[in-house]
Amino acid sequence: MTRPKRKGHRALALLCLFCSPVLLAETLAPVDQRIGSEGSLKIDFQRHVLPLLSRAGCNGRDCHGSAQGKGGFQLSLFGYDFDADHKALTKLVEKHGVARADKDNPAASLMLKKPAREVAHKGGKRIEKGGWQYELLLRWIQQGAPAQNRQQRFERLEVAPAEIVFRQSGDTAVLSVVAVWADGTREDVTPLTRFQSNNDGVAAVEATGRVTARGAGDTHVVAFYDNGVAAVPVMQPLPGKSAHAVAATTVDRHIQTKLAKLGITPSKLCSDEEFLRRASIDMTGTLPTPTEVEAFLANTRGDKRARKIDELLQRPAYAAWWANKLCDFTGNNPQQQAELGQELASQWYDWIFRRIRENQPYDKLVADIVLATGRSEGQSYEEYAAEMSAYFRASKPADFTGRPTMPHYWTRRTMTKPEDKALSFAHSFLGIRLQCAQCHKHPFDQWTQQDFKQFTRFFEPVKFDIPPAARETAKQLAAAGSATMNMQSMMMSQDMQAMAMDGRVVPWRELYVEKGNRPELKLHLLGDRELTLRSDEDPREKIMTWMLEKDNPWFARAFVNRVWANYFNRGIVHPPDDFNPANPPSNEALLDHLAQGFVASGYDMKWLHREIVNSHAYQRSWEPNATNAGDERHFSRAVPRRIPAEVVYDSLAQIVAAVGELEEVRENLDRRAVGHLSMRMAGTYAMNIFGKPARATNSDCERSADPSLLQSLFLRNDPIMQGRLDDGGWLRELETRHSSSAQPPRAELEPLIREAWLRVLSRPPRTTEQERALAHFSKAASTAGGMRDLLWALLNTKEFILNH
Amino acid sequence: MNTRSTSLIPRRRLLKVGALGAGLTLSQYLRLASAGATDASTKRSGILVFLRGGPSHQDMFDLKPDASAEYRGEFNPIKTNVPGVEICEHLPKLARCADQYAIVRGLTHNLADHGLGSTYLLTGNRPGSLVKYPTYGSVASAELSVMPDLPAFVSIEEPLEGPGFLGIQHSALATGNKPRPNQPFSVRGVTLDGGLSLTQLENRQQLSRDLDTLFRGHEKLSGEITAIDEFSDKAHRILSSARARKAFDLAAEPADIAGRFGAHETGQSLLLACRLIEAGVRFVTVIVDNWDTHQQNFATLKRTLLPQFDQGLSALFTTLKDKGLLDTTAVLVTGEFGRTPKINGTAGRDHWPRAMFSLMAGGAVHGGQVLGATDATASEPTDGGWSPDDIAASFYRNIGIDPHREYHIDTGRPIQLIRNGKPIEQIFTGAA
Repeated sequence: MTRPKRKGHRALALLCLFCSPVLLAETLAPVDQRIGSEGSLKIDFQRHVLPLLSRAGCNGRDCHGSAQGKGGFQLSLFGYDFDADHKALTKLVEKHGVARADKDNPAASLMLKKPAREVAHKGGKRIEKGGWQYELLLRWIQQGAPAQNRQQRFERLEVAPAEIVFRQSGDTAVLSVVAVWADGTREDVTPLTRFQSNNDGVAAVEATGRVTARGAGDTHVVAFYDNGVAAVPVMQPLPGKSAHAVAATTVDRHIQTKLAKLGITPSKLCSDEEFLRRASIDMTGTLPTPTEVEAFLANTRGDKRARKIDELLQRPAYAAWWANKLCDFTGNNPQQQAELGQELASQWYDWIFRRIRENQPYDKLVADIVLATGRSEGQSYEEYAAEMSAYFRASKPADFTGRPTMPHYWTRRTMTKPEDKALSFAHSFLGIRLQCAQCHKHPFDQWTQQDFKQFTRFFEPVKFDIPPAARETAKQLAAAGSATMNMQSMMMSQDMQAMAMDGRVVPWRELYVEKGNRPELKLHLLGDRELTLRSDEDPREKIMTWMLEKDNPWFARAFVNRVWANYFNRGIVHPPDDFNPANPPSNEALLDHLAQGFVASGYDMKWLHREIVNSHAYQRSWEPNATNAGDERHFSRAVPRRIPAEVVYDSLAQIVAAVGELEEVRENLDRRAVGHLSMRMAGTYAMNIFGKPARATNSDCERSADPSLLQSLFLRNDPIMQGRLDDGGWLRELETRHSSSAQPPRAELEPLIREAWLRVLSRPPRTTEQERALAHFSKAASTAGGMRDLLWALLNTKEFILNH
Repeated sequence: MNTRSTSLIPRRRLLKVGALGAGLTLSQYLRLASAGATDASTKRSGILVFLRGGPSHQDMFDLKPDASAEYRGEFNPIKTNVPGVEICEHLPKLARCADQYAIVRGLTHNLADHGLGSTYLLTGNRPGSLVKYPTYGSVASAELSVMPDLPAFVSIEEPLEGPGFLGIQHSALATGNKPRPNQPFSVRGVTLDGGLSLTQLENRQQLSRDLDTLFRGHEKLSGEITAIDEFSDKAHRILSSARARKAFDLAAEPADIAGRFGAHETGQSLLLACRLIEAGVRFVTVIVDNWDTHQQNFATLKRTLLPQFDQGLSALFTTLKDKGLLDTTAVLVTGEFGRTPKINGTAGRDHWPRAMFSLMAGGAVHGGQVLGATDATASEPTDGGWSPDDIAASFYRNIGIDPHREYHIDTGRPIQLIRNGKPIEQIFTGAA
């Protein structure tokens, strides 16, 4: 809940045990107590003044911390820029003839008079004249309004209690916060800390740090002081004891521990038909076939679910669906490539698809993207140009998926600046949002602007153009085909693209790391240890090594969490691309287990899928019991969620396919939105309205499972929908087979009705449903017509559109 | 991270019109709606006419007859029915109703790319990789009430810019194609085609309801379930609603009115927009294409673009006025940028965002005025000029939506609808 500890300090602390008594200093009492009793108390700008301004709301987003400040007075957002703030406070304000912190006339200082409402202040009264806050600021000014001590470094926050468990609503608890500084000083900073609750419905927190229980459930109360962010878990269990549930797997054990604490009893397991449909969608983005459903239901093996999971992992559709997801995380967007967008996007997808199909470990797959270069080891520019041109030959193009590395991640137009690379990288592989830190300190994360700037520097040497040494060759290659090269943009002209299609070699821009041309840098990698970056090194290698370290807080965790989020209504950290200290996991032990297990398995993605899908937690029914209707956070029941865009689209084709063609329609990934058609379908109407992400921003929430009016209209009346029902192979077969207008006997209709249910809802119909369907057929003008109506009706149920 | 704000399932403010629904006119409806509204401000409907490609400002609404030949172009200004205001000679109808709209000259920005410029003008915020801002119609969909059997936001013909952080439920219903003169017009997903009758639709709907039993008894279990039921209901109403059908049925407009708009896509699209607003749709975007005149700028403008635009837009203003809708409809006409002051080698003009124009009309707009000015060659605003943010803020003000309204979305910080712009007061007061 605090920043990652630096390992060195523990050793240092032990050593100093024998050296100096100072390090075991007691904790200084809070400044509001000492200000009255200690006349000689030295007020510190960083330790006391700025935190006070944060706590009082002066430097918040709405007031002086906003982008333009307020009333001509600008402070840094939540006090991250000591120099700028000190200047702003101590300079003379012309209009009033006095400074905000006026050393010559302390009592006249505006930073006293305004917040105490002694003079007009649009921000209202923030402190009491004569109160300790007033006294603190006054004393600081009287002491000469000294700036921050540059030797001083904030180390971490300690919050007590470490966890709050309430018995009933209305109960309270008080938090106390201690700041620990690098020199060992400890100070109680509770009166200077900002507090926030992550869920007011469960617990509310006052400015004083008093927490009040509001309702059953759990959340975190977060404390902010200086650069520290500390989140305290707060929970209020349901009254009474929850039923004891046996934990079937380790995943279940961790979940069960939490549920038991909360007094929540998990729902029972889902039915076999629900399991088959759910797992097929979540693992392979595909509905099961009627044959598959019947076989699974008839199967009497005790381990059939585990075997089905193994079987699903073997299907090409598994690789297709997860290649899609990895394209979501890495931002594969045809429109972001400078040229040949569709082709490059498809290459990107296919490259990942192949590696998932071969079950390549995740760390290797990522490394081959992160460390990608245009040329492979020892390749000359001409050889590289020949290789690239071969991928675009019209006749027998070379196979891009055979390339050892995948450079298109870096060559996007939206990745030109090092800052863009840094933001995208952090999102794709670490699950963190650095955006705020670009301009100021992240208001609730630990990243400073300095952290961001340093991280950005790692990406500066990564270039995408034609390296100076190769430009002559490039010009010659272009000239050989009577094309000219635009040496400014170095992009492919239409001529050159045509040449490549023709089988000729054309010059290509390449992804490379500029070496030797830059000074050696000493940089901190996202607040972590200091690294030396020599001028001949690929800085991405340093990042890759760091990501694979045992204690790296993000690389493995971000991925397992995203995979988890695919299988449930939410991630263990949610949103999954927002790992930060103010947004802790809802089950730390569970996330730890999955991340550690994933790494120990050698980053084996199939291990991860098995570990999750075999758990009882995943296989729970959506039906709530008396204790868990309100729980959407702790996986005590399946939470119904809309099926993804690609699955809707593909299902429509599969559901109406002719009996003999259904398998083929399902298997042919080239024609499926879940498969290789994914890139070509990006931006089309159906994909848009069902929430397929455009991948235009660095954000997981671009993929949307929200329902909408347009989706309902689509399923009722879109031309695509009508086309499927009108022309689907099965419907045509029915037209042929039952061409007379006489109604077929019941014995013939019943299997057709059963088939409809199996196709759309992946289960057999109940007797009442069958009767209702028969009643409809008895009034239908034709069998095919009746079936069109029935399929339409089933496709427009919540049961179809929701994954439950 | 505040967990409260993760779901964007909207609380849709569907007005319960009940038995009154059938005979309610829009103005009656709006009066009812604002009577029930929690704040007293007027909420109007909106029309955005988007001139896609970058309309040539100095050849339409900001002529420079005194500039040298390579700048001034081939057109001359003519007087309008507002003293002191002159516009292009090829917009005679608009010249005769210049008192209906305000011309904003000196609109300026620096994004010369179609995509970026369009996003800027369609959302009122500079595009960035952090947040996707919604377009005007999506905001209208989120903030304004609409009748139960009509879509809130329609786009003719494709969805330009989306709902951004508001969520896909506020996407436009896109018509899929533009109305063509003398051809039946059908709208993707809304028109009942393919021989499906209302009775068949009703039977299917009934069958579906009877079979959709899985969550019986648990309808309130989650926001998703409630929302799907709501949207299903609304979708069915739209499909089976005479009002919705009539709204999209251009042939139902009396010939004398329809004739005003002109027998071309532009005119017919504007006619459809008018009908939709009249029926109760709250926001319509009309896309008018082909303004990207890098070549043959003057020939293209003179031959087709200007006459069609002139006819269609003037008919829109006149017809809205005649139907009593001009006061309750905010209209914005704009492209994504202007065009280069100096004519290029192919008798055309290229992209030029540093100077452009917009028109505003309807609602509280004080028509018959020109705001702002550009220099002698229509290259830059002569004073500070205004940004697309300011135009957007003005448009929202005219609709009745607070441009600085904040939304709480997933990124953890509140987002303002219009980050940087301020409404241009003069548009509403008429005073400089």
